[in-house]
Amino acid sequence: MDVLQSLLIPILNPELLGLIALGTFAGIYVGAIPGLSVTMAVSILISFTFSWEVYPALALMIGIYMGGVYGGSRTAILLNIPGAPAAIATALDGYPLAQKGLAGEAIGIVTVVSFIGGFIGIATLAVFAPPLADFAIRFQPRDYMLLAVLGILLVGSLSGDSLVKGIFAGALGIGLGSVGMDPLTYTERFTFGTDALRAGVSFVAVMIGMFGISEGLMQLHTVNTPAVKQKIGRIIPSWSVVRKHLPLGLQTSSIGTVIGALPGTGGDIAALIAYDHATRVTRNPEVPFGKGAIEGLVAPETANNAAVGGAFIPMLTLGIPGDAVTAIMLGALFIHGLNPGPMLMVEQPDMFWFIVSALGLANVFMLIFGLTGIRVFVKIVEMPRSVLLPVILLLSIVGAYAVSNSLGDVYWMLGFGIFGYFLKLYGYPLGPVILGVILSRLLDDNWRRAIISDQESLWMLLKGTVASPLSLVLFVTVILIFVSKTPLWGMIFRKKAG
Amino acid sequence: MQTTQPRRPGELVFNILMVLGSLFLLWSAYGISEFEALSAPGAVPMVTAATMVICALVILRDTLRRSPVTGEKLERDILPLPVVVTIAMITAYALLLKPLGFVPTSFLFLTVMIRYLARCSLPRSVLLSVMIVALIYLVFRLVFTVLMPAGIVPEAEIIAWVKGLFTGKGN
Repeated sequence: MDVLQSLLIPILNPELLGLIALGTFAGIYVGAIPGLSVTMAVSILISFTFSWEVYPALALMIGIYMGGVYGGSRTAILLNIPGAPAAIATALDGYPLAQKGLAGEAIGIVTVVSFIGGFIGIATLAVFAPPLADFAIRFQPRDYMLLAVLGILLVGSLSGDSLVKGIFAGALGIGLGSVGMDPLTYTERFTFGTDALRAGVSFVAVMIGMFGISEGLMQLHTVNTPAVKQKIGRIIPSWSVVRKHLPLGLQTSSIGTVIGALPGTGGDIAALIAYDHATRVTRNPEVPFGKGAIEGLVAPETANNAAVGGAFIPMLTLGIPGDAVTAIMLGALFIHGLNPGPMLMVEQPDMFWFIVSALGLANVFMLIFGLTGIRVFVKIVEMPRSVLLPVILLLSIVGAYAVSNSLGDVYWMLGFGIFGYFLKLYGYPLGPVILGVILSRLLDDNWRRAIISDQESLWMLLKGTVASPLSLVLFVTVILIFVSKTPLWGMIFRKKAG
Repeated sequence: MQTTQPRRPGELVFNILMVLGSLFLLWSAYGISEFEALSAPGAVPMVTAATMVICALVILRDTLRRSPVTGEKLERDILPLPVVVTIAMITAYALLLKPLGFVPTSFLFLTVMIRYLARCSLPRSVLLSVMIVALIYLVFRLVFTVLMPAGIVPEAEIIAWVKGLFTGKGN
């Protein structure tokens, strides 16, 4: 079967086409509901599609994935509650735009740039999958460790006015991610002798608590403020606006694709790194970052959608999932008797091209549903907050309970919600906490692998880092980000300027 | 690196608690594997907790240097009544979810919260709550098949009866 025939399978089959459309549509709304994660939706879908053929099952899951990554931006813009971690950076500029009554315009731009980012990610998957996967496989454990530190530091440095508070929040997240049994030695860590903590802290409960409950509690301060009427005069952005931001979008799409292709990372890290990149390369934004800059929407949204295509690269070529959703899909492929990995592209190239085609179609459906459904969706923001807030809180509780049908997760969510509320009140950023929890395992495992391979010697580890160009670049970037946020940076540049 | 905002009510106490909490975590992390090896299971938790202690101390020093806000009050700007009531309601929801079940608990939660926050009439609150609970139930319980506690509602019997109606077996 040649490439073209494989690409045409989902296009010519109405059932597959319908499932991709349905999945994308559902994904947008699943992604938009805080507390309902795409990971959760896809994992639930596996039980539904267990008895299905592999193509329909994949079609539905791919649609949910693509739609869900985009959908998270909607509540980030409208309510300042990212529907998914990948939309954390989008909220920074999207919500200020909604407060100005420009939610429709913001969602329109986000939809178009998400499509562009998604397209670039898929094209990269199709064209560069083997060489990019080859690049990712060269990463040493110390590189993954540095990447995790870099991710947390980036979020810490960009999401608050104090780097110290950002680092504190990131460290707190890593600590939370360490709770439970150590996977390598089965030693108990931060369990304090309680059974409930042996399984660790549910990441979803932490995320819903920190982003759903704490935001809900914060918004109670202004519960009686009348909702801003959204101007939805123009949804489809003008070509001049798209063209103006296209160079940045292309850069951040590339960042998203590469970050997405690195195993263990995903759209969330891609979006944050892309946002940081945008703040550095955009010299004179029309509106400052954090106050409604269009560049602040373009960068994270192109990157997180590009990361979808990127995440499939290691999954399909190496059998290593790019993120949590592709990890679940990997399981689904195994369930369906397939063996993802280097041999998949040799033995079943039709499967690879089917996935590329399904992703492309999901991207097109995302654009169509995204642009046509804005008017209805924007109405959410015009609902009285006094009615909307209890509903969001209720959905958060249901979402936390649904993680493992356990009331324990609801209590965790409430605890983290209250804690997150105080953190927010006193100026601590919450993004690094979540990222710390996500990256904790990556950091811990790779630190231990790296230090063991260097005979438990810090000196050897440092020598290895300096000797490897890739490690050196990552290491220097970490140092530069840290130093750039300290008074030392200002002193150096003042002296130079003087 | 430093924030120039004035100190908010309760911020000093919160930051002292962060220092104490971080110290407790550092002590717990030390207990995992002490200084056994750089690759020991306690190594990353110890570095993490030590980072938290250092940061918390720096934040506390900065907080002490800043002057307190004179116009803000703890009970008005930090813990206003709607926040306290909402936290109490979510706690009550979690406690009642198992014995009462998802439908009645959600209905009670929404009715009380909407009536309290929106100050609308009881019939309007009840009507809104019924509509919202029905929609959430439809999406989560029936479409996503998320299992929620049935409690006092004979949920299985009702679903079987409804299904029976469609298959012509209902009475």
